[in-house]
Amino acid sequence: MKLDTSGFETSMPVIGFGSNSEMLDGVSSVPSFDLPRTTDFDGFQKKSVEMVKPAKGTTTLAFIFKEGVMVAADSRASMGGYISSQSVKKIIEINPYMLGSMAGGSADCQFWHRNLGIKCRLHELANKRRISVSGASKLLANMLYSYRGMGLSVGTMIAGWDETGPGLYYVDNEGGRLKGDRFSVGSGSPYAYGVLDSGYKFDMSIEEASELARRSIYHATFRDGASGGVASVYHVGPQGWTKLSGDDVGELHYHYYPVAPATAEHVMEEAA
Amino acid sequence: MSIFEYNGSAVVAMVGKNCFAIASDRRLGVQLQTIATDFQRISKIHDHLFIGLSGLATDVQTLYQRLVFRHKLYQLREERDMKPETFASLVSAILYEKRFGPYLCQPVIAGLGDDNKPFICTMDSIGAKELAKDFVVSGTASESLYGACEAMFKPDMEAEELFETISQALLSSVDRDCLSGWGGHVYVVTPDEIKEKILKGRMD
Repeated sequence: MKLDTSGFETSMPVIGFGSNSEMLDGVSSVPSFDLPRTTDFDGFQKKSVEMVKPAKGTTTLAFIFKEGVMVAADSRASMGGYISSQSVKKIIEINPYMLGSMAGGSADCQFWHRNLGIKCRLHELANKRRISVSGASKLLANMLYSYRGMGLSVGTMIAGWDETGPGLYYVDNEGGRLKGDRFSVGSGSPYAYGVLDSGYKFDMSIEEASELARRSIYHATFRDGASGGVASVYHVGPQGWTKLSGDDVGELHYHYYPVAPATAEHVMEEAA
Repeated sequence: MSIFEYNGSAVVAMVGKNCFAIASDRRLGVQLQTIATDFQRISKIHDHLFIGLSGLATDVQTLYQRLVFRHKLYQLREERDMKPETFASLVSAILYEKRFGPYLCQPVIAGLGDDNKPFICTMDSIGAKELAKDFVVSGTASESLYGACEAMFKPDMEAEELFETISQALLSSVDRDCLSGWGGHVYVVTPDEIKEKILKGRMD
């Protein structure tokens, strides 16, 4: 299977003396990923897929409404049962009018989103107009499809505003690409869907939509062990994206469900 | 994830000056899903003896019921409460009875013995006793708990300070564990009284 390395190709011609020229940056040199030198390539790939272990322990969601697209995510990174970080940025800014959400392997998502940003910018320069959300998501999906079975773990939503209005696509490491109005990705997604689906209306104001998104993420962090930290909410409108809020979920709980002061503080018991 | 991590738990006990404290988290989960946030892991055997059980929740409940039964029989026969050291030996024997099909729990026993001297110990799931003079931990968050307790523990703390220390150690450790937390439950026991407190923790 020939890997699709067009992610590294540029529209401008490769000038200079060849692939090893230092004058050229990493993008325009001859594209390649080093492959491991081993007798059993398939066995090695299988073991490394197992090692990466796509767990997708996270909660991200996005939905389209009257005023644009709302994107929200938690910020916990977990390795099995251990919490490795409570402050991971899971909403990646591809360019000023497009956001990508991250679920799955952090390295995979960060790399491929940045790669997508590069390709989008090159498209802009080559065609003198912005790329559509549909086009951007297709670029990513095709790239991921060519790496199918190699153990990438990417469950992302591409949200943006282009000439046709708000756009939302779900793209995953299998190469799947779905257009839709409401998505939630990750181990906490069932809980987020419950709150999101019951509260969703197309005609919401930005405040109502951001509160719905925040509440959905909060409920997912409560029920799902692999989600937590900070609930970030972004809005994508005709002028581009803005970050609306980043609330610590621990504090959100007591904001939604304040503790009633207890009557008796402690029990006094006579020693036997 | 192993069977010990199926429900998720965190239990810790610490020794103070003529007192002890035992604390646990409150989460009951099924792997990553949280089912309840008020699960009782620490139970009273008698006024000066507590046992906290971490591990598989069904075995936690069953083992507790068996131990209460054995202690009540002991009380009827001997007309007094069991000493903590004796109780630890009883738990160890009951666990070893099931050597080839064990209860999947790790108990933490804390009590006041003769002369109100605090006693703590922990065991693995087949009854290997581990006595300690300062603190014992068990559960999915045990590695974090070891670190936190080692850093925060001081010998001969009074009840108030002991409560603060064990609460901080518990909350900071479970905040690094996906499978435990969602609040805390602390018992501080002195010769005259038992103080039970619920801790407000991160609910994620």
